[in-house]
Amino acid sequence: MELSAIQIILITLIAYLKMTDTVTTQLFAFNTIVVGWLTGLVVGDPMTGLSIGATMQLMSMGVVAVGGSSMPDYPIAAIIATTIAVTTGKGMEAGLAIGLPVAMLGVNFDVIYKIFNGFLARKETSLIEEGKFQKALNLIKISPIFYGLCSAIPVFVCCVAGAPVVNAILDFMPEWFTTGLSIAGGVLPGVGMAMLLMYMPLNKYWSFLLVGFVLAAYLNVSVLGIAMVGLAAAYEVYKKQMNSGTVGTVAAGGLEDE
Amino acid sequence: MSKEKVLAKKDLRKAAWRWLMGISTFNYETQLAPSAFFSVYPCLRKMYPDDEDLKKSCLNYMRYYNTMPWISPFVIGAALGIEDEGGIASLDAVNDFKVGLMGPLAGIGDTIGWAMIPTIFGSIAASMGMEGNPLGIFLWAGFTFAFLAVRILQYEWGYGMGVNVITKFGKQITVFTEACSVLGLTVVGSLIATVVKLNTGLSFQNGDVVMEVQSLIDGVMPALLPVAAVAIIYYFMKVKKVKMTWMILFIIIASMIGAATGIFTA
Repeated sequence: MELSAIQIILITLIAYLKMTDTVTTQLFAFNTIVVGWLTGLVVGDPMTGLSIGATMQLMSMGVVAVGGSSMPDYPIAAIIATTIAVTTGKGMEAGLAIGLPVAMLGVNFDVIYKIFNGFLARKETSLIEEGKFQKALNLIKISPIFYGLCSAIPVFVCCVAGAPVVNAILDFMPEWFTTGLSIAGGVLPGVGMAMLLMYMPLNKYWSFLLVGFVLAAYLNVSVLGIAMVGLAAAYEVYKKQMNSGTVGTVAAGGLEDE
Repeated sequence: MSKEKVLAKKDLRKAAWRWLMGISTFNYETQLAPSAFFSVYPCLRKMYPDDEDLKKSCLNYMRYYNTMPWISPFVIGAALGIEDEGGIASLDAVNDFKVGLMGPLAGIGDTIGWAMIPTIFGSIAASMGMEGNPLGIFLWAGFTFAFLAVRILQYEWGYGMGVNVITKFGKQITVFTEACSVLGLTVVGSLIATVVKLNTGLSFQNGDVVMEVQSLIDGVMPALLPVAAVAIIYYFMKVKKVKMTWMILFIIIASMIGAATGIFTA
């Protein structure tokens, strides 16, 4: 299946808007599944988009960019993987084989953009010193307008290159490469889990980690049910701590930056 | 050194919407300072008719500033409250206040806003999505849209409290974060069992019987390999201080080696 010009434009637009939202309004921050679904709607297979988006969501879970650190651009991995899975008909593994490396490269665009922002900031400061307030404000408006290109350009290039090029790359890839990527897809959420554990008071409350594990692994309770148990526990802890005089120190230093 | 307060509710509302400039201006030197300046400029203009005073205050906002963007409105709102009362003489106090508050609040904001909420809503949306149901996306989006109101209103809350912010909420915020961590840990425990996946393809011959190592492992305890994987990753990242990007690359390479040798299967 070949993508039409309108489909390419729409897919690129999804990538642009997603990145723009992530750095400004943040209504879909860390929401990776939504772009898989939207891309699926555009290419005519929302179910594939939804399941690839869900996979990428799990893969990126807990991997957060805080304090200005950069992270792999998982949303564009979901967009590219969905597009490729549907257009080549080779399924999610083929999509991941192209989407994931591009997402890893996406980190570099983010770093470059933040360096570019540094130039802008220095210019803005000198404009303020000269009393040209309006000019400084106008310069600031550049940042949110072009940030989205960090995601839009790689997605656009992948879409335009199209199925023949992607097929050639996929045929060239040995089986251990694609199988390895899908194994990695299962293990990568572990990075997020480890990061979450790093800034939670694990030493103090490790027992609740165990409770959650047992409920899921042995009793097959769904995540919503487990969240309810967690909420009940959280309320009891809150009540107990508010009534007692002492308070533990939690997360005072913030997350460790990348 | 106090002056007449000039800011009205609509000024703060406007500053709140302008803060949605968000983290797009992030740079490595002053971080979110340009966004902070952009947000408060109309307020500062109203407070300082004199251009020289305005310049000093603007430059004060162009100094290093970074906190979690969903909580930042509270910090800046309170800073405006202090500055609207103290005027140009309070600039140092305003900056000290911002710097003092942004660290602890970033810790809380990152833990709850960037770690806990996406983990809980993300796992719900993903598990529904796997079954072909997009409803989880809207559940999550519904929350973030509703929370937008809180982000906007924080300017007014912060402004009203001013310096009292620290004394008023010190304990409550810490306890609230701790309680949220309990919820988070419970969910993470379940996610390790269900989301992380790792299987071995090894088998060995025992007389005539081929023994699958995976089924032996499953007999010991469910999700044993995923638990081991998370423990190893945790060790490398926490104790050995391996960076996230390197960790991800390392896992991809190890998985490929595992796939080539048959130690791991998809």
